[in-house]
Amino acid sequence: VPGVPGTEQPLPQLKDFLLVYNRMTELCFRHCVSNLNYRLLTGQEERCLEGCAGKLVHANHRLVRAYVGTMPSILQRRAQQLQEPPPAASTDPPAASGPGE
Amino acid sequence: MDPLRAQQLAAELEVDMMADMYNRMTQACHRKCVPPHYKEAELSKGESICLDRCVAKYLEVHERMGKKLTELSLQDEELLKRMQQSTGTA
Repeated sequence: VPGVPGTEQPLPQLKDFLLVYNRMTELCFRHCVSNLNYRLLTGQEERCLEGCAGKLVHANHRLVRAYVGTMPSILQRRAQQLQEPPPAASTDPPAASGPGE
Repeated sequence: MDPLRAQQLAAELEVDMMADMYNRMTQACHRKCVPPHYKEAELSKGESICLDRCVAKYLEVHERMGKKLTELSLQDEELLKRMQQSTGTA
């Protein structure tokens, strides 16, 4: 559970990295390896794998960059919405005590 | 966290990831080598050989991906730092 000491996953970056690694392997294998007449990779398969690996890594870079560019403003907007007073209530009685009071 | 603990955790993580890799591999090779006809329980010779080769290839691919990823991930570090800075402090 993020933020709760003792329950946080240790080495989250390493785990993420290793997961990406496994996913990449699976994806590129499924797409590039079709010739199961041989034990060794064919030249065509090797070239495909080279392209697949590079493409996935660069796509990941791009995604991270886009995420980093977009997420802060979303979080900021969310924080502002939380600070704003809630909209006028219906006939329900008001809450006993609101947060932050 | 002391280095020994970190090392132990990294080793445990690696075991988990190997298990994950194994599961993906079996799924991929089953898909490639065993057509879903299931007329009989025994594997045909073709299916057996296919599975052997598939495992060999999958592990080869896994190794190459590892090298490629390590090679390119040095660039990742910078991006990860920026990502943490922009989302961690929000």
